Amino acid sequence: MKSPFHATRRGLLSAAAALGLAAALPFAAQAQIELKVGYMKHPIQDASLDMMEKWAKANNVTFTRVPMAYNVFMEKVTATLTSGNDQFDIIWHNDDWGQLWEKWVETTDDVKGIENVDKWPLLAFWNAQNKLTVVPMVHTVGTFFYRTDLVKPEEVPKTFAELVSVSQRLQKEGKVKWGYVGGMSMNNTWFAQWWTMWANNCDIFHPMLERDNAKLKAAGFKPAITEPCHREIVEFWWDAINTHKISPPGMTAYGRNEANALFMAGEAAFTLVDSTHYGEFNDPARSKIVGKIGMAPFPMGPRLKQPTSWNEIWGWGIPKGSPPEKKKVAKEMLAAMLADEAGQIEMWKKTGGPPPNIKVWPKIAATDPMFKQLLHAVFEQKPITHSAYYFAEWPAVHKAYSDVVIKALSGKREDIAKTLEEGAPSLTKAAMN
Amino acid sequence: MTISEAELDRPRKPSLFGERQRFMLLLILPAAFGLAFFQILPILTGANASFRDWSLHDPKMTWVGLKHYFYVLSDDGFLKVVLPNTLVFMAVSVAVSLLLGLCLAAILNRKFAGRAVLQTILLLPLMVAPVVAAIMIRWMFNDQFGVVNAALEAVGLSGQPWLAQRWSAFAVILMADIWLWTPWFALLLLAGLQSLPREPFEAAAIDGASPWRVFRFLTLPMLRPVMVVCIAIRAIDAFRTFDIVWTISAGGPARSTELFSIYAYNEAFQAMNFARGSAAAMIGAAIIVVLAMVIFRVLNRWVEVSK
Amino acid sequence: MTAASLELVPPPRKGFFAALAPGGVKVLFALLAVGIAFLFAFPVLWLVLTSLRPPSGVYFVHRGTEFTFHNYAEALAQPNMLRAFFNSFAISTLATVLSLGVTVTSGYMLSRFRGPVPNAWFSVIYVLRCVPYISWVLPLFFVTRQMGIFDTYWGLLLPHVAVHICFFSWIMKGFFDGIDPSMEYAALIDGCTRWGAFFRVALPSAVPGLTALAILCWLYTWNEFLFALMLTSHKTPILTVVMAQFVHELGMEWHLMSATALMALVPALIVTVFGQKYVIRGLRV
Repeated sequence: MKSPFHATRRGLLSAAAALGLAAALPFAAQAQIELKVGYMKHPIQDASLDMMEKWAKANNVTFTRVPMAYNVFMEKVTATLTSGNDQFDIIWHNDDWGQLWEKWVETTDDVKGIENVDKWPLLAFWNAQNKLTVVPMVHTVGTFFYRTDLVKPEEVPKTFAELVSVSQRLQKEGKVKWGYVGGMSMNNTWFAQWWTMWANNCDIFHPMLERDNAKLKAAGFKPAITEPCHREIVEFWWDAINTHKISPPGMTAYGRNEANALFMAGEAAFTLVDSTHYGEFNDPARSKIVGKIGMAPFPMGPRLKQPTSWNEIWGWGIPKGSPPEKKKVAKEMLAAMLADEAGQIEMWKKTGGPPPNIKVWPKIAATDPMFKQLLHAVFEQKPITHSAYYFAEWPAVHKAYSDVVIKALSGKREDIAKTLEEGAPSLTKAAMN
Repeated sequence: MTISEAELDRPRKPSLFGERQRFMLLLILPAAFGLAFFQILPILTGANASFRDWSLHDPKMTWVGLKHYFYVLSDDGFLKVVLPNTLVFMAVSVAVSLLLGLCLAAILNRKFAGRAVLQTILLLPLMVAPVVAAIMIRWMFNDQFGVVNAALEAVGLSGQPWLAQRWSAFAVILMADIWLWTPWFALLLLAGLQSLPREPFEAAAIDGASPWRVFRFLTLPMLRPVMVVCIAIRAIDAFRTFDIVWTISAGGPARSTELFSIYAYNEAFQAMNFARGSAAAMIGAAIIVVLAMVIFRVLNRWVEVSK
Repeated sequence: MTAASLELVPPPRKGFFAALAPGGVKVLFALLAVGIAFLFAFPVLWLVLTSLRPPSGVYFVHRGTEFTFHNYAEALAQPNMLRAFFNSFAISTLATVLSLGVTVTSGYMLSRFRGPVPNAWFSVIYVLRCVPYISWVLPLFFVTRQMGIFDTYWGLLLPHVAVHICFFSWIMKGFFDGIDPSMEYAALIDGCTRWGAFFRVALPSAVPGLTALAILCWLYTWNEFLFALMLTSHKTPILTVVMAQFVHELGMEWHLMSATALMALVPALIVTVFGQKYVIRGLRV
């Protein structure tokens, strides 16, 4: 339908313009512009899109949602971006692939209101010219959830040791079957191994807590997983499963689904997962623990003095392949989303997703005690580092790490040090690729 | 059989592009057309990628020769974990589902009340989307909410963390694969049974041959062509199994159930190195081309000898 | 499953069956049949139960007794669900007709002819069958986009047909190999053309095989994920793609997924049950 022959025929042209298909034609400036958004179906993304659609309707822009399945999202969109096609005008952007798309997405420093977002989580999204390439949609923050009906706020574990003792007490009293559940398998490493790693002042590579790729490279991507601080957390999880039995025996194979299913069924007292699950945990249709959920700062390992946290974002990106006039409109629309206070408050209420515009936060906190709790549990605790590394080989490193640690956890306790020792070179290999 | 085949195959007029050739080519023309555009073209693109520096997010496409092939062939994980896993998986899955499928086909080929119902029930595994079935199986084997452990505990046995241990996880993915593909064998072998001529069986019945002897010396040899093809095709497909294993164990715990296509997928799409993933796929393809040929030959000879 | 397989091995001696009363054999056989059917049906039965549980009970299916059709209603209310059903149905049916039409001739040629052309054709089919999807699904995405058929019926249909060509040609060859060609030879002598011999003599004998393949092809296409995920987008919603969207980065909507999968099972069941009967009857007329 984009054939140039149609352009000579008035009737068809106006029809095409009405359909929003003529945007590519140079003289269709007054015609309605169509913006296509590639995204993953999720209540938070839909809430963010609702804000954009509100603006699009008011400004005579056709707004098309193109939902994509998560398991092919990154592959498909990356393939579209690298082939320079203009299939999308806005796409869901994520710190997981922040650096992979750095070359293929438009800079966003000039989006109005971008100064109102939290700077810390943007690290994944700077391009080689030090320009920003994302507009934040929501914060994804690891949050320690506990059951308020089982544990008083002052009893919430503050250390790993307390996590074990409080869990065992609750188990002994027959109040709950398990103390802690969390995802552990590949791509869920954050919800057990990693939060405890950072909470024990440890990291994956030397120099520890460093996220400057040049410095990491200069150090030869030397793994830190053989350090005592790291061996301790592997032993902690081995004990949690096998010795103290505060976590289920099959947990090394769990993803988020399994862990959340157990937590929502009331089988466990504690979990750690993205705060964005709060909406689900409190949904009476899905959860048996509605109204019994509290949030608290991460329990600490022996090597940490102050609780840590992590704080990253989901965002929106604008593909470079999109035509200039559409990019301009897309930026206006994203600016409108950032400025939409009512919409962002609504998003928090519906989904538990902390909004991108931090100017809105005090307003929510003033009326909503849960948000205040979240601020305390996460945002007021200074992260010691970012919850990932931001170089292109990172997914391969994550996989190598997961394989080594799960292997160590599946073996004998006395073999943990040896398994970590033997597996460490695979991390360097993955990073150097 | 061979004589009449030769008769049909005999050219009516001896010419280079005669009526026989035209007939042959016309028979395969539409298929060849489809293959050229939607298999050969993309496969060549993939093969081309395997010789280049081609990461998903940064397709530089510079020629690197056999670098990726050397990488895969010198990777301990590939040689010592992935290949043995894949071969064991293939052998067990094909053998068990063939045996079960053959038995089911033999049962379904008899007339009895409820035959149609049984046949439909046995085809159920093929009717559910395999990915959903795989998720269902994963939940069924969960150590906490899985029905398998619940059933075991109900009769006083202790449940197992099935998916957290190497061999039980391997058994679960094998069982899922067998569950899914036994009906496939049963359906095709049943079709094979139904298209067999009736006369030899009637003669055998008159001779008073036992059912087992009929099956062993009449049915099996006559079913040979379909059976051998089914085995070879299933062997190839089992070698490249992906969905089920990806959903149930994703190769875990810690690569212990990793199969060949999961290896290729991880390289191509998790590590984003499309070129290396393609090289792994090509190596796998080469292995299975040779392997399936050997299986095919050996089976044919074995059936021939045992006749 | 393995326990059942052991029982299925034909009895080693006649004595065992002879020792049972004639009625006993029948009871044994019936028990066996029910047992096997139960084992094969169990995961599907469990899926049915799952889909009928409220969202809070889809994991602990065996715990609690609340049942509801709410998941079905919610799944049906998803945008594009009905269109996806229609599209999937159309694509599966078209893919089946096209694949079989294209491959029955190709399988026949492989079975009935000897020489360099059939050998070459067989080698092509064989080698292509061995290349894993992983390496060429992404190129296929590029190819369909280059051709301008991405996210259309053709863009999904033609790759599906192409995938089936290798497998079906080969199996069709197997079926034709099992059919004695002397009848076709007789027809040729009687003055029939080669096409006539193929259509009137060979094809009808291959009907059981064709039926089986038709069912397999339809079910395969109906349930296929990878191609559908890569080769379609919002303009051509496909059932499995809509289903895949119930999985997101933070987990999955298992209650919706199980309900959708069950709804998708109904057409599959109808096609299998009635397809079997009517395809055979229709082709034999």
